[in-house]
Amino acid sequence: MLFGKYINKYYLKYLAFFLIGIAALVAVDYVQTYIPKFLGQIIDEDNQLIANMDELWKIIGGILICAAIMFAGRIIWRLTIFRASGGISAGLRHQMFTKAEQLPTGYYHENKVGNIMNWFTNDVDEIHEFFGWGTIMMVDALFLSVIVIISMIRLDPWMTLIAAVPILLIIVWGALVEKFMALRWENRQAEFDKLYDFAQENFTGIRVIKAFVKQNQEIHAFAKIARKNKDVNVGFARLSVIFDVIIELILIFEVAFVLGFGGWFVYAAATSTPITIFGHEINLTIGQLIQFVGYIDLIVWPMIALGQVVTMRSRAKGSLRRISAFLDTPVVVQSPKDAIVLKDVKGEIRFSDFSFTYPSSKISSLDNVSLTIKPGETIGIVGKIGSGKTTLVNSLLRLYNVEEGTIFVDGVDIMKCDIASLRDQIAYAPQDNFLFSDKIENNIAFSSDQVDNDKVIESAKFADVHDIPERIRNRFRRTRRNALRWSKTENLDRESLLQERPDSHFG
Amino acid sequence: MNDEMERLRGDRKMKASEILRHSWPYIKQEKWAIILSLFLIAVGVALGIVLPLFTSRFVDLLKNHIDSTPLRMVIGIVAGYAGLGVAEQVVLYFQSMILTKAGERIVYRMRTEVFTHIENMSQNQFNGMPVGSLVTRVANYTAAVSNLFTSVLVHLISDFLTAVSVLVIMMVISIKLSAFLLIFALVAGVVSFIFGRIVGKIFREERRNISDLNAFLSENLSGMKITQIFNQEKRKEAEFNVKNENIRRTHYKVVVAFALYRPFISLLYFGAIAVTFGVGLKLALGAAEIVAFYLYLSRFFNPIQNIADQLNHIQRAITAAERLYSLMEVEPEVVDKPDAIEIDHFEGSIEFKNVWFAYEGENWILKDVSFKIEPKQTVAFVGATGAGKTTILSLICRNYEIQKGQILIDGIDISNIKINSLRKAIGQMLQDVFLFSGTIKTNITLHDESFSDEEVKEACDYVNASHFIDQLPNGLQEEVIERGENFSAGQRQLLSFARTILHKPQILILDEATANIDTETELLIQDSLERIKNIGTMLVVAHRLSTIQHADNIIVLQNGQILEQGNHQELLRKRGQYYKLYELQYADQEES
Repeated sequence: MLFGKYINKYYLKYLAFFLIGIAALVAVDYVQTYIPKFLGQIIDEDNQLIANMDELWKIIGGILICAAIMFAGRIIWRLTIFRASGGISAGLRHQMFTKAEQLPTGYYHENKVGNIMNWFTNDVDEIHEFFGWGTIMMVDALFLSVIVIISMIRLDPWMTLIAAVPILLIIVWGALVEKFMALRWENRQAEFDKLYDFAQENFTGIRVIKAFVKQNQEIHAFAKIARKNKDVNVGFARLSVIFDVIIELILIFEVAFVLGFGGWFVYAAATSTPITIFGHEINLTIGQLIQFVGYIDLIVWPMIALGQVVTMRSRAKGSLRRISAFLDTPVVVQSPKDAIVLKDVKGEIRFSDFSFTYPSSKISSLDNVSLTIKPGETIGIVGKIGSGKTTLVNSLLRLYNVEEGTIFVDGVDIMKCDIASLRDQIAYAPQDNFLFSDKIENNIAFSSDQVDNDKVIESAKFADVHDIPERIRNRFRRTRRNALRWSKTENLDRESLLQERPDSHFG
Repeated sequence: MNDEMERLRGDRKMKASEILRHSWPYIKQEKWAIILSLFLIAVGVALGIVLPLFTSRFVDLLKNHIDSTPLRMVIGIVAGYAGLGVAEQVVLYFQSMILTKAGERIVYRMRTEVFTHIENMSQNQFNGMPVGSLVTRVANYTAAVSNLFTSVLVHLISDFLTAVSVLVIMMVISIKLSAFLLIFALVAGVVSFIFGRIVGKIFREERRNISDLNAFLSENLSGMKITQIFNQEKRKEAEFNVKNENIRRTHYKVVVAFALYRPFISLLYFGAIAVTFGVGLKLALGAAEIVAFYLYLSRFFNPIQNIADQLNHIQRAITAAERLYSLMEVEPEVVDKPDAIEIDHFEGSIEFKNVWFAYEGENWILKDVSFKIEPKQTVAFVGATGAGKTTILSLICRNYEIQKGQILIDGIDISNIKINSLRKAIGQMLQDVFLFSGTIKTNITLHDESFSDEEVKEACDYVNASHFIDQLPNGLQEEVIERGENFSAGQRQLLSFARTILHKPQILILDEATANIDTETELLIQDSLERIKNIGTMLVVAHRLSTIQHADNIIVLQNGQILEQGNHQELLRKRGQYYKLYELQYADQEES
């Protein structure tokens, strides 16, 4: 089980699914233990059963009933538990995305998109895996072992003790191996990532490599990485084969151990006097002995899986911690209570004694800036890199929090404004052209819910991109991308038009 | 892996024989490993098949012949069981390792060969190929193809051998009971096969949905600022919900498919057990035989399920092979002529003689272009986007082949010069500077160890890059992160200049190299350009006319043709296109 602020509610939401699923699992586990019993009975009573057909039909009927229950139970637990785990991961992803939409620009400067993506993919997958297979393995290991051990003790407590020792060995070995292999797996994955990244970087920068005729050096460097991958993979395969072989060997010795001791007990009981340990007389038949081996067969794999569950849980725990940290990130930029909703802004902008320091920086970017822009004015802001031009614009858009009473739009303090309504009134043509991989018209009409074709074409004409021929649509040159951005802005009929040196690519 | 998004232009279906022909060189090198492991597989299968007989014999002795059997014989059988089990595992170990090593060697060879092949492709062949798809071919598809021969096919053989030999043994024990059980196994096989087909489709759908959501996420997290500025959070959330729900739904489809398949197979298995017990006793088989059948049943059902599974793998491996080998079939478009000559040093005169060029078909980008540049001259190309400026520069580097005419360097047709020696002589400085992850030094030397630190420093001094490098805590050893994002555009440009100068070119190419840079850094760059000019012939493309006023010759292009040429003063006097452009920009500068 795994608990946390953001996960607990799902237990409640999917309680019925979990309960039904677990009940089905327990039923399957219970019914399973009948099969070795029937086998034992067949071995011991084969002759009687041929004579007494009714008894035989009972056994066959019993097996068929067990099979039917298992069939139904296995369907049910798959449909319920996996339904719940799928719902949990989809729910988490949704929570995370809405969170991501609230987080301010500053957050994305401080955190790499690659990391956030990892939380959305790998970490959610870990939790998904744990709530699905993890639950099943845990229930299996717990209930099956209890049911089987009770059945074994009923057959013979001493035999159970003899069988238990290697099984404990398997649990310990399984847990150790799982832990160790997880580490080695990461190591192997890291080597693969190196190969992947190298190829990716090389192909992206192929122009430079060709221009400087460095292909041969690159091929040698790549071959080195590929060879390392080969060696690491062989090493990993050797370890995992050795571990698997050892598990199989323990299993073989376990069965041989039980058959050896059990054979002796059966032999003694049938020929001379039964073996007696601490006053307990072991009266075992061959059928019961085989039944015993059947139980071991049932219990071994859940025990090996127990080790896996331990690692799975610790991984899921780590993932949940990262996801919770993300969901806990305070949303620093948000509209105040009773925010003023801006409408039909005339476009008077006033900065009064405005200073700004980026959250991650110690040096202030703007110091005591005061200026007033009248409606309809066109203002150019000039200065070298880092002088604060972009900061001025970012602040006006409320991408960051500013000091109250320093920036006013139509006389209203923007810190008191509803952020959405403020941004709605501003058309922004940023320097970095970002196009969504979507149709051109959808990129142009990004801010309107409905794509109005005439308006899109009009905007495109305005920004001089309406004649992009079909064949180069997907291969824009930089200049074209910027022109597109322009028409995106134009489509808005905004009152104040911010241009953040979008022409710097035009030269 | 079957993802449609991974498809490249030129991917095509291949016949099995064709795939085999491509794979043969790799397999041939590992033929002994494969033969040996097949032999070991046969041994392993034989050992595994004998094991249940020991249990059966054990039951037989203890049940029916207990009076005539000494205890040590019972223990002996158990010891034999253990010994055989150990032997089986030892064989399995060697067989797995031999195959794994052979497989990894094949992957290694394939990877280096594909990588080398890609390195040698021509520039324009990269344009139609997304980097991600190329990387998948190098990293993943090679492993999938190697897997086909060292895992999938081998397991198929092993499973087939197991199933057949179990069937034979069962038939030896009781042919009638075996006939009954064969029906169950056949049903299991057919169901597994059909299931494999269905679930393969669902898996593909699931993978597509996952990569769809991932693409959406990475794009939208990067562009969150735009979404927020344009107030489109609600719409993006709705788009996200659709994709998120798609994943949940297809994932559940997989669950449902398995929820029907797995329990059904186990139903068949237990049905077969019930038949073994009932029919077995009816046929007057003893307890020992029934135990044997019971143990053989699972050894029979598993391989049959696996075979269906492996067939699915084959399908995927074939797709991987088709894509890998289709890529290997792409011949580089620009190659050396057999008698191409090596040239150490160029004087640097360049001549275009009636050059016609089109990227595709008759869509001429350059129409009958002729001009001549003397050694050490500086020549600028001016014109609107799409006029053909950048194309001319790429043609000099022979990134593409021209259709008509001749390009001569030092009077030699460049198609007679080895591409590598041509490119070594040309230093290219482009608008988008590409930096590799590593250090500043490795980015300047490009891992060429023959350059000393002093030489690197000299190059940095020469291009004014030392100013900022000296201020970094680690100097030349300062780390460069992916794509050089920890440096400004101007700094990146200076590093690229240093890189170019270090490699001592005789011809320099500058394609809009100063477009992205603020005024202050531009002054540094202009200053270093003044010095770079003296190194050799320099070709410049720039939008800002102020940067090219001092060029020896300015060539004005329009729609792939030369409109006029001359130096700044001459062109101004002509009052032609250049004059118009100059007026436009001059007016601009006046205003701002």
